[in-house]
Amino acid sequence: MYQETYDDEEFVGNIDVVADSYANADEIEDAGDIDDEELLMQAQAGVQSIPEQVRTFLGYLHRNLQSGKVNDLTYNYEMQFPRLSEKYYAKASWPEPQYVAALVNDDGLFLILYRELYYRHIYSRLHPSLEIRFRSFENYCDLFNHILNSDGPTDLELPNQWLWDIVDEFIYQFQSFCTHRSRLNKRSEEEIALLKENSQVWSTYSVLNVLYSLIQKSNITEQLRAQQQGGDAAQVAGEFGGRLLYKMLGYFSIVGLVRVHCMLGDYTLALQTLENVELGNSRALYTRVMACHVSVYYYVGFAYLMMGRYADATQAFVHILTFVSRTKQYHQRQQVDAASKKAEQMYALLAIAVSLSPVRVDENIHAYLREKYADQQHRIQRGGEDALDVISELYLFACPKFITPNPPNYEAEVVEPQAYQLRTFLREARLQLVVPTLRSFLKLYTTMGVDRLSGFLEMEPAELKNQLMVYKQRCRQVKWDGGSDLLSGELVPSTDLDFALEMDMIFIAESRVGRRYADWFIRNANKVQDLVVVLENRQKDTIAGKPKVDAVAA
Amino acid sequence: MSIPSSFVRPTTRPDEIHRLLTDVERYNPSNTVLLEDYLARQCANPDSTSNHDLMANLALLKLYQFNPEMLDHDVIRRILAKALISAIPADFNLCLYLLTDEVCKDASIAKLLALRESLERAQFVKFWRDMYDPEDEEEESVVDGIAGFDNGLRKLILAEITATYQKIPLASVQDMVNLDEEAVLRLAKENGWAVDGPVISLPAKSEVKASVISENVKFEQLTKMLSAANDI
Repeated sequence: MYQETYDDEEFVGNIDVVADSYANADEIEDAGDIDDEELLMQAQAGVQSIPEQVRTFLGYLHRNLQSGKVNDLTYNYEMQFPRLSEKYYAKASWPEPQYVAALVNDDGLFLILYRELYYRHIYSRLHPSLEIRFRSFENYCDLFNHILNSDGPTDLELPNQWLWDIVDEFIYQFQSFCTHRSRLNKRSEEEIALLKENSQVWSTYSVLNVLYSLIQKSNITEQLRAQQQGGDAAQVAGEFGGRLLYKMLGYFSIVGLVRVHCMLGDYTLALQTLENVELGNSRALYTRVMACHVSVYYYVGFAYLMMGRYADATQAFVHILTFVSRTKQYHQRQQVDAASKKAEQMYALLAIAVSLSPVRVDENIHAYLREKYADQQHRIQRGGEDALDVISELYLFACPKFITPNPPNYEAEVVEPQAYQLRTFLREARLQLVVPTLRSFLKLYTTMGVDRLSGFLEMEPAELKNQLMVYKQRCRQVKWDGGSDLLSGELVPSTDLDFALEMDMIFIAESRVGRRYADWFIRNANKVQDLVVVLENRQKDTIAGKPKVDAVAA
Repeated sequence: MSIPSSFVRPTTRPDEIHRLLTDVERYNPSNTVLLEDYLARQCANPDSTSNHDLMANLALLKLYQFNPEMLDHDVIRRILAKALISAIPADFNLCLYLLTDEVCKDASIAKLLALRESLERAQFVKFWRDMYDPEDEEEESVVDGIAGFDNGLRKLILAEITATYQKIPLASVQDMVNLDEEAVLRLAKENGWAVDGPVISLPAKSEVKASVISENVKFEQLTKMLSAANDI
């Protein structure tokens, strides 16, 4: 199914053209004169140029991959690889795959995985050229072909973090390509010609094809459903899905799809995709990789925000931000850095959500928001054009990168999905701004004439009556009811201030939040329990004739 | 409180369409015709509670997003017009997210966006004025081919009015729903509103009075604590 969208041989031909047009002119001349012997020498020199430490590392990595030692691979991948990248390749690419081939007896599968790391490193530290982008796509095709289209399941085993990174990077490079492609004014004519010729490279259909194929091959949807209903996931896993590699790749592809749907502005489909991924379950599979955990909640929160479900967005962001801040010390520095970056963005989105629809949030999160965004929140609540500017600023800092799924019309002007999505979001958000403004006045009275309020607001009475209707509508919100379907929910009031209009009179009522007893009772119940445990232990000690610990200490 | 949801399968959705929506078939461009036909059926049905299938229409917009050469502005116009009279206000924006600036420049679609803006801001009088603008040169209305559009819209507007007002001048209601006195009086009779000369009294949906919100702790939320207590 995968080859359909990807014609191998023809593609390789095109790649050569790319390589030529990119190579330095001098080198092309030289290449004509080089004979076989010189090539061999060049290769040897290439191998020689690899530092000893890196060569040893590649040897280990190769052996561990062959013998399937996942724990050792985790160490290779999460500790050694970043360390060596920092030490030797901070501003350069890793050794050319062709030189590495000599070290690993041309092991094809190893080289595919190595190339994945090699290109990923270039993307993260250098500027990938169009040629690199094409080649990296070709390499992903090789990798997924191996996994999806071999006769039986592959014996390959990789750590979860690595598998997540593969899926995540695949989508990142797709997004990066789409953005690169759409910046027409920066592309040369040769590049545009190449892009036109290779429209199937990084095409949206091919990317979706990979993700859906991984999901189908692993039967992950069936597995999750079985698990949710208390059944045995292994029974429905099938030949492929029974292997951890397929299961996790399938699972990560679901999360990846959510990201792709959000990048395309399809928020309903994004949330629908997560139907069987139990949000809020602390043992769900997404918790096995921190970046995946963060990603799930970032996109869920973002999708809710775009749908105008501010309370749900707030809940999603608060949940994951609390998790990130509490578990920082248990994760690798690298993962924490990435998570912290996303967390910063989520705080910005949270600032938008709670300003538009104020609710009480966790105290630590609230304190951080106050410290960082107090000014912005205040300006949003004051309303007007300034509020929209602040929202736009926060939004652009924190939103995902949107893409257009098709190649641009190379002759026409560029379309900007980023700006379009923001404008559409503001259509909705701007209405919400009516709430804080009106509320601040209504709060002060129990009855009030429309003409009086319109005087305060310097607004025509007729328009004020309209705004009061908008207020009424904006004070009800759909909120997720905790079921497996993230789209469903119930309508709940989102404000503490209600009113009714009788002709030109406004009757206002404010509801107050009563004292919260549950928390107090739970805390004290826990205290009593602790006390009982301590007393029981003392009693046991006394019976056993042991001296009291406290007494000795004293 | 249960609400109408755009995401639950409507009873009027055929199996064929449902399968398509829950499968990778939703990406198959050859299904565009199926979804377009389904939309035509939605448009022909004047019953506003059973004639809107947002998920199917979003799937159609997605096919256009992926295959711009198939894009049909008139279909998009009808999808947006249907979303405009949907009982769920968020539907309209969800459709918009799948479009582009380019599409929004189309005259009919641009007009629908402007109409939506008046609706969102509860400027109903302006809405009707723009909707049936005698100076509009376009022969056809932007809501052509949508059965029961005006009445669907009136229902929405009336819901807004009853949520906000307890007493309102008869004349205001006339302007807001674009009907003459006689028709509004008929509406009042149907809905059981009390009409006292020039004033309509609406039954209060929920009485507006100061209240105390108390927390609601469910038994399930305490299972952790209770099972711990069991260990003692």
